[in-house]
Amino acid sequence: MRTHARKGSAAVLALSILLAGVVPAWAETTLEKVARTGSFVIGTRTGSPPFGFIDKNNQWGGFSVDLAKLVHAGIEKKLGKPVKFELKESTPTTRIPLLTSGAVDLIAGTMTITRARRESLDFSVVFFVTGAQFLVKKGSPIRGLRDIGGKRIGAQQGSTNEKVIREKHPQAQLVVFPDQPAAFTALAQGKIDAYTNDGVQLAGLKAKAPNPAEWDVVGEFYTYEPYGMAMRKNDSDFRNLVDFAMMEAIEGGEYQKLYDKWFGPRGEVPYPLSESALIFLQMQVIPR
Amino acid sequence: MTLLLALQYQFEWSVLWTAPYGRWLLQGIVTTLEISALAWLLAAALGGLFGAFRTMSGLGPRGLAAAYVEFFRNVPLLVWMFFWYFGVPQVLPATAQDWLNRHGGEFVAAVVALGVYHGARLAEVVRAGIQSVPPTQLEAALSTGLTVGQAYRRVLVPIAVRLIVPPLTNESLNLLKNSSLALTISVTEVTFMTRQIEAYTAKGFEAITAGTLIYLGLCLVVAAVMSRVERRLAIPGLVVRTEGAEH
Repeated sequence: MRTHARKGSAAVLALSILLAGVVPAWAETTLEKVARTGSFVIGTRTGSPPFGFIDKNNQWGGFSVDLAKLVHAGIEKKLGKPVKFELKESTPTTRIPLLTSGAVDLIAGTMTITRARRESLDFSVVFFVTGAQFLVKKGSPIRGLRDIGGKRIGAQQGSTNEKVIREKHPQAQLVVFPDQPAAFTALAQGKIDAYTNDGVQLAGLKAKAPNPAEWDVVGEFYTYEPYGMAMRKNDSDFRNLVDFAMMEAIEGGEYQKLYDKWFGPRGEVPYPLSESALIFLQMQVIPR
Repeated sequence: MTLLLALQYQFEWSVLWTAPYGRWLLQGIVTTLEISALAWLLAAALGGLFGAFRTMSGLGPRGLAAAYVEFFRNVPLLVWMFFWYFGVPQVLPATAQDWLNRHGGEFVAAVVALGVYHGARLAEVVRAGIQSVPPTQLEAALSTGLTVGQAYRRVLVPIAVRLIVPPLTNESLNLLKNSSLALTISVTEVTFMTRQIEAYTAKGFEAITAGTLIYLGLCLVVAAVMSRVERRLAIPGLVVRTEGAEH
């Protein structure tokens, strides 16, 4: 039994070290932290084209990363000195802890702004609008939400669509993967009948697939997914900086240029910007 | 602790037992125990078989066992998870694939991956156990007129088994802890469920802490069971190392 007592005290010690380790420097704002460390770190995706992904030439970037670079420029202007721009991988399950622990300063990926998330994080204005749909093999009987009863529906852990299917459509058999490439492989191998995620992400997966013609993005949007950049809570100076960078990009045409670069007819994932989405984005730009 | 209180983090331990999260954790524990127990049985069978093979004089069984051990022991378990889930089913006939897709192929893959990987490591434990029985013991047994089979059954195996228990405990704990990797292939075990609770409540600290405590608890139970086994097997006068290796 003595060994057990030893194990117990070791566990307590390990846990206290753990506790000590998660104490971030809350006292400083994000801008102070960036000034002190000399680098601005963003969390983004590696497998969500075209928002954050690693392309054929092994280059890591995307639409969200390009927008974050505008924020980076804003930070340098504000601080009056150059700071490094660093990328770290974030996934739906890691992004909140990465942010709250101070490992990253901004999540610029594919994060939907929700009221629940606003309890523990702050978000920028909306930078992209989409909704949940299904990715299926061509000719699949699944054409939308009403066909998923009894079918194996893949989703990504920590995503809003996973929640909606679990809570509102329990007739579907939900299979949850920690990352998108694994879910897509499972779909390609017939392990799941459909993969649900935001329509634009599915369009991205289809565009990147070895044979895009064999995939269909189907169904009406069954959720509303406004994407925003996430940051630590209660840091309004930094939030303003991020928001103003977005607004300037929208009003100055920079946003549309980037949109065309990534979503245009010759972009990574063709996904036309709807009239209503453009108006909505422009309405977010408040007067100077 | 005062440092913690100074944080702007709202602790909310109740997320661990409110519906549906408490049920999720319990389901996760059940799944973890299921895959671990099944994988343990597979690992014990493979480990016993190939461990014994490795001590045989014949080149065939010995070579086969050596190949098995080196092949499965020297590849990361995570890779084996993917291999058995995304790799192997692809080369199976379509009917087998369909069956797996409908009957929890991820569960099967997790059990097989854990089983063959830890089986390879157990084979080494078994081999070491058998080889650390002094040959003079066997000689003595044979000289008393026992047949070879009897000498093995009544002398060698009983001693080897007692030598094997401490490292077996260690390997069992490793297997239990390694089962957490199954979350990567959509198995809803404890770690998966803690991540799930975290995703739903944004209370990562509480969720992951619960996960660590669950593994700690399960491991302590396993260790306690194994030390009982060790004591039950102990033969007065036979000194066997009781110092288990580091967990």
